[in-house]
This record gives sequence, structure tokens and C-alpha cells, in this order.
Amino acid sequence: MRWYIPYGNPTYFIWLALAIIPLMIGLLYGRRFRGYQTVISLFFLILTFGGPNWRTGIALVGYLAYQVILVAAYSKYRQRKASPNKGWPFVMAVILAIIPLVIVKVTPAIESGRQSIIGFLGISYITFKVVQTIMETRDGIIKAFHPVLFGQFLLFFPTISSGPIDRYRRFLADYDNVPKRADYLNLIQTGVRYVFTGFVYKFILAYIFGTVLMPGIEQRAILAHGFSWNIVAYMYVYSLDLFFDFAGYSLFAVGISYLMGIKAPMNFNQPFKSKNIKDFWNRWHMTLSFWFRDYIFMRLVFFFMKHKVFKSRVTTANVCYVINMLIMGFWHGETWFYITYGLFHGCALVINDTWLRYKKKHQDVIPHNKFTELFAIFLTFNVVCFSFLIFSGFLNTLFFGPSNF
Amino acid sequence: MSLKKRLLMIFGPIFAAAALMLVVFLSPLWSGLNNVNPTVQRNAASSLSPLVLKGQLIKQRALENHYVPFFGSSEWSRFDPFHPSVLADKYQRSYRPFLIGARGSQSLTNFFVMQSINHQLKGKKAVFFISPQWFTPMGEDPNAFSFYYSPLQTTTWIEAETGTKMDRYAAYRLLQMPSGNSDKIISATLARIAAGLKPTSFQSFYVGVRHRILLNEDQIYSRYRIPFNNAQTIDKNMKQLPSHYNYQQFNQLAGKIGKQQTTSNNFGISNHFWNRRLKRHVKQLKDFQAGQSYVKSPEYGDFELVLSQFAKDHTNVLFIIPPVNKKWQQYTGLSQTMLKQFDQKIRYQLQSQGFNHIADLSNDGDVPYFMTDTIHPGWRGWLKIDQAVDPFLTKKVSQPHYHIDNRFYAKEWQQYQD
Repeated sequence: MRWYIPYGNPTYFIWLALAIIPLMIGLLYGRRFRGYQTVISLFFLILTFGGPNWRTGIALVGYLAYQVILVAAYSKYRQRKASPNKGWPFVMAVILAIIPLVIVKVTPAIESGRQSIIGFLGISYITFKVVQTIMETRDGIIKAFHPVLFGQFLLFFPTISSGPIDRYRRFLADYDNVPKRADYLNLIQTGVRYVFTGFVYKFILAYIFGTVLMPGIEQRAILAHGFSWNIVAYMYVYSLDLFFDFAGYSLFAVGISYLMGIKAPMNFNQPFKSKNIKDFWNRWHMTLSFWFRDYIFMRLVFFFMKHKVFKSRVTTANVCYVINMLIMGFWHGETWFYITYGLFHGCALVINDTWLRYKKKHQDVIPHNKFTELFAIFLTFNVVCFSFLIFSGFLNTLFFGPSNF
Repeated sequence: MSLKKRLLMIFGPIFAAAALMLVVFLSPLWSGLNNVNPTVQRNAASSLSPLVLKGQLIKQRALENHYVPFFGSSEWSRFDPFHPSVLADKYQRSYRPFLIGARGSQSLTNFFVMQSINHQLKGKKAVFFISPQWFTPMGEDPNAFSFYYSPLQTTTWIEAETGTKMDRYAAYRLLQMPSGNSDKIISATLARIAAGLKPTSFQSFYVGVRHRILLNEDQIYSRYRIPFNNAQTIDKNMKQLPSHYNYQQFNQLAGKIGKQQTTSNNFGISNHFWNRRLKRHVKQLKDFQAGQSYVKSPEYGDFELVLSQFAKDHTNVLFIIPPVNKKWQQYTGLSQTMLKQFDQKIRYQLQSQGFNHIADLSNDGDVPYFMTDTIHPGWRGWLKIDQAVDPFLTKKVSQPHYHIDNRFYAKEWQQYQD
């Protein structure tokens, strides 16, 4: 028996292809074999969380039981006839839902790098799904709670380790139905294309940037002591590796979901073509940034407006940008470079908004043409790459790391 | 469009790509792509890269050219003006060393490397450097062996094996290593060979297909990305040598360079090695080798594999037995009696089977600037080795008559102490 990181090597894909063929035949003939799907889900979860990783498997089971009970209890409260829908049970439910994630994220910071025993691969992404379900239950958009369907949603294996982050109602609509044959054939076609594009991204391009080019540049940058052009080279190589690795992985997850007749949302849309930072966050790790937009940014904006905390709408939006991105930074991990990365993007969004307002006011004098658009893309790309250099933690190794040389 | 047609449109390209890949990697046509650029041969011959060690094509072409295999381990990486590769290049000798081996490559690794070049070894000459440090009670380190393990060399050997004592012993040893168990079918095949049975027809088929794929990978990829920094080091060292070979002058020059480069310590160890590896730990290293023995080791059995293969190929081999840096030996408490016993035991294994070309330098550990560090020859050491290597490879030497004695594989011999 061997154990696999999802989409980590060719053998995993062979297992995957064999396992989903019966499912695909069913879907082509108008049937969704839900029992079979549960069985293969379990099989792939064991491949990832079993064997030497069995401890994380136990953590996953415990975590799942905890969250199902939590959401069930909150749903029971909300779906009673004439539920008072008070604020405090909702706040309590959200806090309880994110406590395990907070523990997992804080443990390495205070225990000098040791991982928490309640952690497992993909805990963040499941937590996002849980919080989103609680919020929509509060809003009354989710009207019924089914523990089994909810479990299917949380544990949907193609996306379990790193997203994309699906939405409960969207997932359920797909899961409950069988696509029409013509639609499903289109899904297969797109899914297959995604998986193969993913191969190019992850196993060729990310390999070239991350495995072939990066180590040499990294070593030269460290040996140069202090600033050298190698750091700039590292910035670009790291950024491209990050993109192709993660986008490749996301393409696998979305492609396999399509083959299973589930239209999981896309995660990347040519992010390096963005014309400004806001545009970038609409194209980069989209399901995460949309989650933050819908469940943190918008909620903050409503909260501040309702309580009239700030006079101007602009100030409200700016404060919310910074808080939103800071939380994203903290979510990445409790290190100075992740938090700086969040702050950097928060400020970048504020500057971007200010500039766009200014530009709109002075439309007659500020030129807008193909050239300025190209310049905007170039500028955005470099700002983003610089933020990834912060994110990479390489500056930390470079300036504050133990000096081995 | 019908369902069938639509599915064919989607999955057809995938099957076509898979079929194309099979054709590419199973095609025998690649064996025609044989040419290896002389510069690549030269770079590879001194690269000491594990990729070159594990591959086949470059070594085969180079040995058919004028390269001679120099088997061994970490000593080859000690480049200075008197290193065999530098001398052969500088004085345009009729041979060039093809250095095989790096840190941790011992007899078993060298035996499998030989499998990829048996054809080129037939009736030719070779040099083999025996490190006493290989012969520890545990023998070959499984992790080091894994690092140099080549599935291609294994399948090449399985295809050629005939169930001799050598083959059975090699299978038995391979099975003791994690590498031998990395492929389930190969390890089942090894188990049959070790037991004296022929591989089953399925196993033979599987090994054949694996062999073809690995061979093609080697033919297609192995020529590229060969490190050339050691070739540059050789060029630099050549410049320090006078234009004509003169032993007396060389001996003085070796002493002079050695003196310049060992100023940091009293052991005659090069400054570079001393500062980087020893300086900080030298206090703890006092007498740390007091109980060390090179006399009882499974390595003697592995070494017999190498001897059997040389005998089978009728290769005329010069063996080099190096000394240990005498001052370091005394400081670390390594037993002189034990080293003497090792020397006698290994010489007995060689000479009693007809391997009579031996450069035994085991008494030269106290010659100044003979060793570049604790166990590796440098300056005068290389020069003395050249005194044996050059005539052996450039002049006519007596043809060997080997008679392999399988008792040297036995545990009794491995554990034998006089």
C-alpha cells in the first residue's frame, strides 16, 4: 500500500481515472451512483490521510464530527419557527467554527515551528466552507440542514486539500441533479482539457521554475550577502513557480470535479494579465478572494455603515480593505512576512481605489490607451511579484536567518 | 454527433499520446543515436556526477575512445596538479582516466557500474582504487548505495546473468538493500536468482520491457547537462606544471605546493579540508578510531564480485592500496597492526586469484605531503600513483591468468582474522 498527496504523481492519476470511470458511465446514462461516489471518496481520503499520516486522519474525523454538530445545533436554533435570530448565537457559532483553525495556525508560532496535533491537510478550506454555511444559515438562505449532504460537501475529495472553495447551495444543486447528456459531454471535454493543462502547468512549468531554476538562484542570492540582482531573479522565479504550481493543482481539482458532474468554481483566470490590484484579486485564487469579499469585506462594510462608525463611504471601504487583507495575512500564518504581505495588499487596494477615483475625476487630462493599459499590466505584475517575494519568506531567510556561510 | 464519436473526439488524443509515448520509449531505433561529443566525454570523465555513474551511453563511447576506467570512490575528487587526470591531459598520454566513483560508492556500486560497460572492459585495462575505509563491520551503507543505484545497470545485469555464484551473490546483496526492493517484480526476480533459479517467463518479459525503456531514456537524455567544473579545475591545474615531465623536478614541486597548502595544522592536511571539516571538532576526534577495524566486513564479499567480473571480462587491472595519513592515524588511535592485517588480507584475496598488478602504498603514510587530508592521496601521493599507473597503461604488461575461488564469498572469509 502506498500513500499519496493529492495529484502528487502519475500513479495517483491512474487510480483516479480507474475510480471515476464507472461514475462517468453512470452520468452519461442519466444516473449518479451516490453510494459508489461515497466509497471512492473514502478510498481517496484514506490514500491521503491514512498510512504514515494516520494521525491527521484521526484529526480530520474529530474535526468533522465537531463541525457537523456545531452547524446542526446552529441550524436547529435558526430553523425553529419564529427563531429570534439574535446576534450572539451567530457570533458564538462562527468563533467556535474557526477556533480549531486558529489553534492550528498559532501553534507553530508559539511552539517554535511544531505543528498542532489537531491539524490536517486542507483544514483551512473546510473551515471556510463551514463558516460560509453558518453565515448563510443566519441569513436564512440555507433553509434546511442535512448532516450527510453537509459531510459530502465538506469532504468532496477532489478539492479537499487546497480548494477551490465551493458554496454549499451551489454544490448541492449539482450533487442532487444529473446533468443532461449534452451538458455533461461539454463538462467532460472541459474537464479533460483542464487536467491536461494542469499537467503542463504543474509538472513542466512549475518544475522548470521551482526545481530547475530556483535552487541555484536561491543559493547565489544567499552567498551574495545583502542585496543582489539574484533577489530580483528569485522574485520572478518564485512568483511564476507559485502560480503554475497552484494553478496547475486547481486545474486538476476543477477538471476532476467536472468529470464527476460537479461544476466546482474556477480558481484562476490569467491573473498576470490584471490591469490593477483589484482586477488581480478577481483573477488570482478567486474562490478565496471571493470568500473574503463576501464573508469578511462585505460584512465589515455593512457593520460599519449600520453603526455609522465612519462618516465617509471611502474611509469605510479603505478600512475594510486593510482589515480584510490583514486577516488574509494572518490566515496564511503567524509570521511577519505573511502579515506584511496582507498589509501590503490592503494598502495596494486603497491606493488603487484612490487612483481610480482621481482618474475618473480627471478623465479629460489623463490619457487612456493601449500603451497605458500595457503599462498598467506591467506595473501590476511587478507589484504582485514583489508582494510574493515578501510572502515567500525568502527575505526572512536572507536577512534574519541563521548564517551558515 | 453520436455519443461514441463525441467521446472519441475527447479521449482520442489522450490514447494517441499514450500510444506515441509507448512507441517512443519502446522503440529500438534510439540505439542508433550513439554519438557522444568529445567535449561531453571529457567533461563526463572527470565530472564524478552520479548521473554519469548511473548512466551507460557516455561511458561506453568514452571507453571505446581512449579513456580507461578508474574505479574507486571519494579520492578522485582531490584534484591537484599531480592528479592522474591532470597528468594524462598535460602530457598527452595515450590514455585518459574516466573517473568512476564518489563518496560512498564502494565495491557493490562499482560492480553494478561494470555491468553497463562489460563489453568495453573485455580484454582491456583498468585501474581500481581500494579504500580500506570501505571494509567496515557494516559494509556498504544502504543509503549511499541507493544514491548511486541504477535500475538500468540492474536490468542489464539480469538480462546477462547465468546463475553463477557471482550472479547469485549479487542478487542476494541487492536484496539486502532498499534499492533492490524498490520494484516488486524486480525484487521477486532477484529472489529467484539468489535461490539459483531462472527468472519466470513473465519476469524475463517485464525485465526486458523495463530494460528497453531505461535504455532509451539513457540514449535520449544522458548526454545533456553534464557538469564541467571539474574539467575546468583540471585545466587550471595543468597550468601549474612544467612543459616536460621530470620526476625529480615534480617531486620537489609537489613538496613545495604541499607545504604551501598545509600551513594551518601539524597533520599535513590541506588548509581547505582542515578549516572546513576538522578544525572545530579536532578535540573530540582524539582517539576516536581506537576500536576501528577493517578486517571483518561484508565488503570482502562485495569486492569478490568485482574480482569475478574482472576475471569474466579478462580485464587487466592495476589495484591501488592507499595509506592513511600517519600523523592523523596516530592522533585518532587507528591501529597500525589492524591496517597491516587489512593489507595482508586484501593482498591475499587478490594474489591468490591471480590479480598481481598491485600498487601497495600502505607504508607511505608518513611521507611528507603524500596525503592531502586524512585518508586521500594528494601531491606526492598522486605522483607515486602515477609512477605505477603510467607504465601499466602505456607499456605492454603481462597478461593475467585469473582463477576465481568462490570461497571468498563465504562469511568465513568476510569474518576471517589472522
